[in-house]
This record gives sequence, C-alpha cells and structure tokens, in this order.
Amino acid sequence: MSDNTSQDTEHAAETDGGVKTEAYLDKEINIFKPATPFMRDHLRVIWLSFVAWIVVVFGPTTAILFAPEFMTETTVLGGFPLHFFLAAIVTPLGALLLSVGYAMQRDRLDTKYGISHEEAAESDGTVAADGGEP
Amino acid sequence: MIEAVDPVILQETALDVGEFKLVPALTVAAMLILFLGVGYFFRVAAVDELWVAGRSIGSIENGMAIGANWMSAASYLGVASLVALSGYFGLAYVVGWTTGYFILLIFLAAQFRRFGKYTAPDFVGDRFYSDWARGIAAFTTLAIAFTYAIGQASGMGLMAQYIFGISYEMGVILLMGVTIAYVALSGMLGTTKNMAIQYVILIIAFTLGLYAVGWSQGYSTVLPYLEFGSEVSAAAAIETQFVEPFAAAGYYGWIALAFSLIVGTCGLPHVLVRFYTVENERTARWSTVWGLFFICLLYWGTAAYAAFGGLLYNEEVTEGGGFATGDGEMLGIEADALVVLTTQLADLPEWLVGLVAAGAVAAALATTAGLFITASSAAAHDIYTNLYKDNATQREQMIVGRATILGIGALVTLIGLNPPALIGELVAMAFAIAGSIFFPVFFLGLWWENTTKEGAIAGMLAGIVLSFGAILNDTAIPMYTGVEEAVFPTVATWLPGTSSALLGVPIVFSVIIVVSVLTDEPPEDVKRLVRQCHSPEPMQQMESAEDIATDGGLEDGAADGGSATDVADRPTDDDTDSEPETEE
Repeated sequence: MSDNTSQDTEHAAETDGGVKTEAYLDKEINIFKPATPFMRDHLRVIWLSFVAWIVVVFGPTTAILFAPEFMTETTVLGGFPLHFFLAAIVTPLGALLLSVGYAMQRDRLDTKYGISHEEAAESDGTVAADGGEP
Repeated sequence: MIEAVDPVILQETALDVGEFKLVPALTVAAMLILFLGVGYFFRVAAVDELWVAGRSIGSIENGMAIGANWMSAASYLGVASLVALSGYFGLAYVVGWTTGYFILLIFLAAQFRRFGKYTAPDFVGDRFYSDWARGIAAFTTLAIAFTYAIGQASGMGLMAQYIFGISYEMGVILLMGVTIAYVALSGMLGTTKNMAIQYVILIIAFTLGLYAVGWSQGYSTVLPYLEFGSEVSAAAAIETQFVEPFAAAGYYGWIALAFSLIVGTCGLPHVLVRFYTVENERTARWSTVWGLFFICLLYWGTAAYAAFGGLLYNEEVTEGGGFATGDGEMLGIEADALVVLTTQLADLPEWLVGLVAAGAVAAALATTAGLFITASSAAAHDIYTNLYKDNATQREQMIVGRATILGIGALVTLIGLNPPALIGELVAMAFAIAGSIFFPVFFLGLWWENTTKEGAIAGMLAGIVLSFGAILNDTAIPMYTGVEEAVFPTVATWLPGTSSALLGVPIVFSVIIVVSVLTDEPPEDVKRLVRQCHSPEPMQQMESAEDIATDGGLEDGAADGGSATDVADRPTDDDTDSEPETEE
C-alpha cells in the first residue's frame, strides 16, 4: 500500500516527511472525531480493546450480581470459587494479553503507515501518512 | 470501611520481633550497600539526567523499573493483607493495581513520551499555558508523594522490627534515612538502574517465599498461582467472608475501589515520568507491556499468600480460632506483615524469611525513591524555577530538589511513626487523589485540544475538594479527634477516601468540559502541541512535542540525541534551534 499517493497531489511539491507532520498539525484532536486516517485506524483499535478490557475487569464482579450462585458455587482447579479465581488470576492475565495485543496492533499500524522508530530510519519515499486510505 | 489502626507499638504479635537476626540483617545491609553503590556510580550532575535519565532507557529495563517503581510495600505486603482480612473485596486491589496499566498504555503512554517534558506539573503547566495550573499540579504531586510514602515508611518500620529487632519507630527512622540519602545522591539515572535491580530482588524474594511455603506445607508444587484452590476452600471454611463476594463492602464499594486504583494508575506523576525516560514512543508502549507482565508476576501470588497465610495463622497462632475475625485475629500490624509472617509460620529457615523481608524493604525503598524524585522535581523545577525564579541555575535547582527530598522525607518519617490506616489503604488514598485530580486533566489535555486552562484549573480544584474532602471525612479527622465514625457517614459510603474517584472522575470531567466550552479556546500553538502528540511521525530522542510544533519539525539535534536520524527525514523551513537540552 505504499504507492498509493494519488490523493496527495496538492502536497506533491513537498517531500513526504513534511506532509506528515504538517498535515497532523492542522487536524483537530478530539477523541470522538478522528480527523485523519491514522487516527481513525488507531482509535478503532483503542475503542475495541477498551470495550474488551471493561468486560475483563468489571465483568466477573458484575456477573456476581446477576448469577450469584453460579459465580460463587462453581469451583475450578480443585477448589477455587469461580469469582475468586477470575478476579485474582484471570483478570490481570486478561489485561496483560490485551496489552500485548494492543502493542502489536499499534506496531502493525506503524508498518502500514511506514513509520519506523529505528534510529537509522530510511524514510524517503515511504508512504504519506494521510494518503493510503480509501 | 476504613478503621484507624491503633498506634503501632511493639506489642505481642505473631511475628518474631524483638531480636536481632544476623543473616537477614546482613542481607538488607548488602542490599542497601549495593543500591548506594549503584546510585553513587551513576550519580549525576545535569538536570536532564537527574530527572529523565537522558531519555536513554530501553523497554525491558524500563519495564523492570516500572515494576519496581510500582510495587511498593503496598503491593508486596499490603495486598496479601487486604485479601486475608477482606477476602473478595481485597481482590479489588489486585484488579485495580494491575489492569490500570492497560488504560495508561492505550490512552496515555506514547502521547506522554511525545510530549516529552520533565514532570507531570510540567505537562499541566505547558499544556494549559498557565502557571496557576502548574502550581496546582505541583502541589498535587507533593501531596501524592507524601500520602503514598507514608505507607512505605510504615512497611519499612515493620520489616526493620523483624530484621533488626529494633522498635518500629527506630526502623522507620533508620530505613527512611537510608532512602533519603541514596535518592539525594543518585537522582533518576541511578534510580532507574537501581530500580531494575530492586525489581529482580523483590520478585525473587517474593516468589521464592511463595514456592517455599507452598512446597514445605504441601500446598503447591510447580505453579502455586493455579494450585491454591483447595487452600482457598479451606480458608473459606474457616472464614466465610474470605470468598463471600460483598461481605466487606457492597458491589458499589468494590467497583469504586477498583476504578479509583485504575484511574489513579493513570494519574500518578511518578509513573508518568517513567515514560519520559525512554528512547521513543514505541519503547514507551512496549515497556508498559513489560512492566505489566513484571507486575502481574507478583500480583498473581498475593491471593495465594493470603490463603496460605490465613491457614497457617489459623493453625499455628489461634489454633482453629480463625484469622480475620474472632479472638486472636490478625491485627493491622500483623496483617501488614502477612507475607513475611507466612514464611515464618511455615518454619522456613531464618535466612529465607529474612530474604522475603529484605524484598519488602527493596519494594518500599524503590517506590519511595521514585516518589521523592517526582516530588523534588515538582518543587525545584515547577515551583522554584518556573514560578519563582526563572533564571535559576542548575546548581540552585539541585539544591532545592535535594532540600525537598530532605524535607518531605522528614515529614513522612514523622507521620509514618503513627500511620492512620493500613499500608494498602494509605496508598489507595494517594491513588484516589491522583485519579480525581490528574487523570481528567491528563486525559482531556491529550485527547481534546479545546480543553482550556480555565477548565483544567476548575477541574483540578474540584478534584482536590472531592478527594481530600473524602480522606478528611473518613480517615484524617476521625483519626486525630479519636472518634471512630466518619464525620458524614453517608458521604463516607458513597465517597470513601480510598475510592473517591468513581464519583470524582465523572464530576471533574464534567467541570472541565463545561468550563472549557464556556471559555475562550486555547491558543493555536497549544493546539499544535496536542496534535503533535498524536502525529504518527517518529520523533527524535531528545525532542519534545513543543520543539516540533513550534518550528515545524527541524531541530538540529540536542547535544547527544541521535542526530543522524532526523535530518534526513524532515524537510525544513526555518531552523531556529530550540534550547539545547543537555549540558554535557
């Protein structure tokens, strides 16, 4: 996807690095109104993982309200009441796995938008940040 | 929910105190000498290095530092104690103190790295273009460091009692003295190196103790985290409240506490500064992931310690009389030493019990160091330099910073002699303060460019009233007037001092948004600053968002920051250099 810069003609005179920074400095930052394709993609990842996180963190305790017997009388792994095991072990693990997932997704977005954090970044000729998206 | 604990005196307790123990004492002494040595070896003179370690730390090392910085006496000692005494309610601490890192990761970590200033008040002052905002933030930072550190001082005193056989008070004074000395000596670079070492020590001590107890008592074998199920049932048979979901507090109390600890995680200045110390934003993200992993290693074991410790206490001390209620129940002081007490009751050799105690000292010391660094930079950088004397020299800043460490250290030691609550509860109050005051301004400041200075100031003041009011209401005033009850019991129910952020955060968010809408928009350069924090464009090691937002991207490399990289990729217009950031 690195060659689709056709929408960028008005910036064609500049090299890409400038386009990226300049473009971002002109777009409003509002978490509910992503103004650039990158922000849109990034926020999609953020909101999806945020919802998953809410379920992982507050789900078990909330479930006790609705199914107290199931949550407290089911035992797993030789004696743990289900709610105790979920809160003590599974919830921290869930947050950890979600974090790994988010960081990997964010790295994938970096690749998609041609961003490199390496010290010797070769950035000439990579994609413009605001091109690329249909 | 919060009871003032009796003044801590050397009373008869199940923990083996009152006798000097040579091997444990040598372990602690060796550890402290190591820390001081590392601190001395990496001692610093430049301001950049004192506060952000030259922005040179990698992701695993920073992850370990996040872990050590994070896992204080409250995590190491306090959480197991809270789970033992409050059962399922105590697990809200486990959940709150681990899962908050995810919110920090997705919403704040990388943006903070891009913002790239020195301290939390710096962020508030620059983002909200106001010295008033900066001043309020600096005050809040000091208040958080102070509240948080009291819990650490208390943990140090308890451990010193066991290890050195000295009184609790002497222990607090001795170990706080060491902490103050080494922070003042080494600064942040030294403490980052130290924190990685401290993490290794504390996690080995904690895990070794857990494995040894589980193995020697026949509770568990290779993976105690998944094997303490039958001990949980046994503990529940002795004390039903151990697993009863809402025995200690209702659903609201549980959620309010977990929520407060989560947003507090995202608002703690000494946690945020860990993102300023890394090379780039990708490192900021991955070090958060590593940090959470390292943190989970300890937290997965806390409930196991609570179950093991409860059973052993029931067998050895009360002989079937229970552990959290009834005659001979664990007092606050014993509960707070539960992790060490468990290893002692399991008849493990003295050196091993001493090692576990030494790990607790490392945990308390690492966190206190991080807190004191943020407090000193808030005082020297944000209050002294930015508000009082613009042209302060580096030397003056260092002096003010170190004086702050001494002053706040002395005050913490004083209050730590007679702490007003359990370790974990004290620290939770610091989180409620951070969550109510800082989280909303950090979050909106980064994600909504129209947040104005008036909005931020009004929001922070509202947060101060709510969180401090809650603590005064149910802890501070009752403690110092000798009354058991909260001043306003209804308020204490809905707005507990440890959990005020569940109500506080939405209120503060609304205040900020309403006031921001009613006042003039922030200036264009501030908006550009916010946008720069979200640009996907990589930034160079020593750059902050301000450099780029003001000069369009070119900055010709601060003294040592990887200048080979950036020149190639930023075409440029004007090249007025921004101020050099290091003086080496």
